Amino acid sequence: MRFSLIGISLAFLALILLIPVASVLAYAFSSGFDAYWQALSTPDTVSAIRLTLLTAAVVVPINTVFGVAAAWAIAKFDFSGKQVLITLIDLPFSLSPVVAGLVFILLFGAQGWFGPWLEQKDISIVFAFPGIVLATLLVTFPYVARELIPVMQMHGRDAEEAAVSLGAGGWTTFFRVTLPTVRWALLYGIILCNARAMGEFGAVSVVSGHIRGQTTTMPLHVEILYNEYDLTGAFAVASLLMLLAVLTLVIKTAIEFVSARQPRPGVR
Amino acid sequence: MSIVLEQISKHFDGAAAVSDVTVDIAEGEFFVLLGPSGSGKSTLLRAIAGLTPIDHGRILLHGQDVSDVSARDREVGFVFQNYALFRHMTVADNIEFALRARRVPARNRRRRCAELLELVALEGFERRLPTELSGGQQQRVAVARALAHEPRVLLLDEPFGALDAKIREELRRAIRTIQRAVGITTILVTHDQEEAFTMADRIGVMDRGRLQEVGEPRELYARPKTRFVATFLGAANLLLGRYEGGDVRISDSVFPTLHPTPTVPAQGTEATVVIRPEDILIHRAGAAPEALRIGTAKVTGLEFTGSQERIRLSLKSSDTLTSALTPDAPEFIVEAARGAREAESLPLSVGQITAIGAKRIHVLPTRISSVRLLATSEAAEKRLKSSILVRDLAERMNIAPTLHRVDGGHGIERSLSGLSVVVPEQGRDPRRVAALLHTGARQILALVHDDRPVERILIYTQPSRPARDGALSTAGSLLRHMSVDATLLVPADERILYGRRYRDLLDIRQSALRLHGVDVRTESFRGDIIDHLKHCLEADIPTLLLVGVTSTTGRRALIRGLTELAAHRSCAAVLVTSARSETESREAVPDFRRAMLAGVA
Amino acid sequence: MRPSALPGFGLTIGTTFAFLGLIVLIPVAALVLKAGSLPLSQLWQIATEPRALASYRLSFGAALLAAALNAVFGLAIAWSLVRYRFPGRRFVDAVIDLPFALPTAVSGIALATVFAPKGWIGQWLEPLGIQVAYSWVGVVVALTLVGLPFVVRSVQPALEDVDASLEEAAESLGAGRWTVFRRVILPAITPALATGFTLAFARGIGEYGSVIFIAGNLPMRTEITPLLIVIKLEQYDYLGAAALGFVMLCMSFAMLLAINALNGWRARRHRGRK
Repeated sequence: MRFSLIGISLAFLALILLIPVASVLAYAFSSGFDAYWQALSTPDTVSAIRLTLLTAAVVVPINTVFGVAAAWAIAKFDFSGKQVLITLIDLPFSLSPVVAGLVFILLFGAQGWFGPWLEQKDISIVFAFPGIVLATLLVTFPYVARELIPVMQMHGRDAEEAAVSLGAGGWTTFFRVTLPTVRWALLYGIILCNARAMGEFGAVSVVSGHIRGQTTTMPLHVEILYNEYDLTGAFAVASLLMLLAVLTLVIKTAIEFVSARQPRPGVR
Repeated sequence: MSIVLEQISKHFDGAAAVSDVTVDIAEGEFFVLLGPSGSGKSTLLRAIAGLTPIDHGRILLHGQDVSDVSARDREVGFVFQNYALFRHMTVADNIEFALRARRVPARNRRRRCAELLELVALEGFERRLPTELSGGQQQRVAVARALAHEPRVLLLDEPFGALDAKIREELRRAIRTIQRAVGITTILVTHDQEEAFTMADRIGVMDRGRLQEVGEPRELYARPKTRFVATFLGAANLLLGRYEGGDVRISDSVFPTLHPTPTVPAQGTEATVVIRPEDILIHRAGAAPEALRIGTAKVTGLEFTGSQERIRLSLKSSDTLTSALTPDAPEFIVEAARGAREAESLPLSVGQITAIGAKRIHVLPTRISSVRLLATSEAAEKRLKSSILVRDLAERMNIAPTLHRVDGGHGIERSLSGLSVVVPEQGRDPRRVAALLHTGARQILALVHDDRPVERILIYTQPSRPARDGALSTAGSLLRHMSVDATLLVPADERILYGRRYRDLLDIRQSALRLHGVDVRTESFRGDIIDHLKHCLEADIPTLLLVGVTSTTGRRALIRGLTELAAHRSCAAVLVTSARSETESREAVPDFRRAMLAGVA
Repeated sequence: MRPSALPGFGLTIGTTFAFLGLIVLIPVAALVLKAGSLPLSQLWQIATEPRALASYRLSFGAALLAAALNAVFGLAIAWSLVRYRFPGRRFVDAVIDLPFALPTAVSGIALATVFAPKGWIGQWLEPLGIQVAYSWVGVVVALTLVGLPFVVRSVQPALEDVDASLEEAAESLGAGRWTVFRRVILPAITPALATGFTLAFARGIGEYGSVIFIAGNLPMRTEITPLLIVIKLEQYDYLGAAALGFVMLCMSFAMLLAINALNGWRARRHRGRK
């Protein structure tokens, strides 16, 4: 019973997850390390990497600020409609990435609401960097808030109330009392948000316009190379993204180890 | 005054957590808020600290109105129930937090921290984290932290809740010592009666959001004013006796009341008597009593607790001796306690018959001693039992209502003690209420539209001193337990009742407060009282009409007039108090039977 | 609202609503209004054209099947992780989250390559007549991969919470192991399992990146709904895209409500036990 169950579990994992993931590395290095390195150093690839980093650098701070604000409001105060607010924050989780991209096309595209106005002012949002940022913002919107809210709710309000009654202001209370107790959850939220921001495909694919060397992020670049049958190139870039995923997991495991908590429930 | 609370009220989701609390706390006083869980004491404390905003009222700290001052600027020290120490900071950082927030230079901070650590006897613990300390040590850090910025008020919310008994006792002493050393005005919240007694200069007892009584521990224990405080502070036997002049008769003995009520109730009026277990004396049956005798009792239980022996005794009820908790039971239980020496001189065994007496009794000033539901039919019984007003009132006053079927009017005499509750039946009410009054009832509550909670009390009395005193002292008993406004309606031409000299309405209010401890508003009116009441009842506020009558003429007409008011939706109930003497009523019993029978037929 | 003594409510709730409005609500409203600008009959017509219907069938069917597979194997994995100690357990535990962190494009090309007829796994399946890549089976495989962590991470804590004394009590009463599982353990973890299933299903319906590489994308056969939206956009058929997007948005809301309801169920269960 015991061994068959473990066996079934491992076989399933291997088939569906481990072998495909291992294949990424295998294909990436199938033509040798030099080919791998060359594939990574083409100008288009470098530009894709730069765009991805830039997007994450804009998106992650914004969503972190939002997540902290939302968690503070939700965990430290009682107000009516709180459950509705939480549900709305969760909406991007269940939204198809393609729809997340679509909504911005409908807003800012040539036929969209603001399309003509933007065209007049010569501002491009869709098929340009701002569109990519917006779509990524939408998809990664809940990550930080979702990690922080339960932890902050669990800690309650006592410490903050103590700080305030001792004469501390809002910022002091947050930075000196609240932040130290939720820092691991915050960090976890940020790295998840970052992983998704760098790896987002569907939403970005819809708004990017796929202009090589300009509006292709790393995942989009993987698609382009793959469709051009440049398997080494595609898997080389994919291997970088996989490295990001593995790093994320390593940090996550480290956080769990440091904060000495059980594997967290409800991770998405 | 160091802390002044004026009419503080706080509602959570429509339910009152704190209602109408007013109290003054002196400089340097150690004040304990005592009450069962959910009585609103923590909410009140948090309101003082500014952690919970209040809906109504005023908070003054050292003469300054801080009602609108944020928690941050109130300069109070607050110790939380679970300490709320900053777990990621060292003990020193915790203690210095308030100083850091005030940008005190590091040197001064360190000096103050060292001082405080010495004060709470935790020198050398600066670098520890709270998680490395025991519960008692954490508690002391919390106290030190709360004192760091030299607040002028220290607030402690159930500070010993999570500690075991021995440490708790140590800490009590420690905190009391620190408080004396610093001289800081302190409020401590607890549900532990012993804690309150050992620490407090004064205790405020809270129940259901209301501050029931305030007083020094001994005073509160010896002379409580309410049933709740009498039973919440230590064990108490609650009995019903009868007034005889200024004294109270229990069984065959007449006990002098040391602190009589300001106005002497009429002869034979029911009195609620408190006897502490240690004040009950037990003799051999037939032995000469050393104290005033209560009656013969049978021992039903013995408990040895070390320093004391607790005895449960069963007594037979009589007209002048019965339990206030179960007024109708033929027998009731009295608890006694005695020391080891007495136990040795008279060993007791279960089943033994003894004579008991009381060294001391205390008479509660409350006018409402028992609640008797008088049902004339099955339907009336159901209605009485389901009445929200009666249930609320009885619950808040800690009285279990008793049901009496009086279909034939038999046995009515005993049922007329205390507050008699009746339900109206079409057309018969004035006659029935009049008959009850005639028979000797002193308080009759006629339920009308009592499906909503009462929101105000309107008081009117016939123009006589006893009528007014009766009504106001009953109002006092009610208001102690209900958060409603009470208004005394005074005819415009009748304002000279309280003295020879003309006094204005404010004076009436003052004397009502002084004599009966009841804060009523006063309002004068012209013309007929019934017309005026009709006018008042047009506003859709569930109202209890409280009417004081005497045996003088005009009573019947007044009661008939009151019956007309029953048509108003906002008339929740009518409470008639009568200031008659016992003798007058004894003869009237047959009269009542006739009236009752007429009602049934 | 119950006012609190803590500062910052106005600032944080203001920030929250501003961001929520700008980033989520207004864009989503744009989609709803765009779809709403169509006459109802036309909206219905676009939403129910044969190609769209076929795509729903595939998206729903494959997501349902993948969620079901995950429910079974996810439960087995969670059980192994919670109840057994075996070498590599910690590794497996950490690796479960990989699909959360792995960009979908990476899993997409990896699956497509591995399950291709000449791929590492595909070459063993082809002689058996099983074609995974470029068929609906491939879609199911891709959705199983992305949905895997949801079930495991939902069931794991619930399984840890099952009181061991309950099992012992049942066994002492003479119940067999299967009976204990069916009557004691399964009821206790059903809400968590249902939540995991729904989360995996919701993710599967909208999934795009990992599917398009392996699906083959043949109209009417292996074309998922999100892809159809992309195709309509590429043809500048914004109204058609908006109509299909609206259908998917409605599904998202339905899933959110279902997940909320399940969470409520779970919370009640939890309180009931205490």
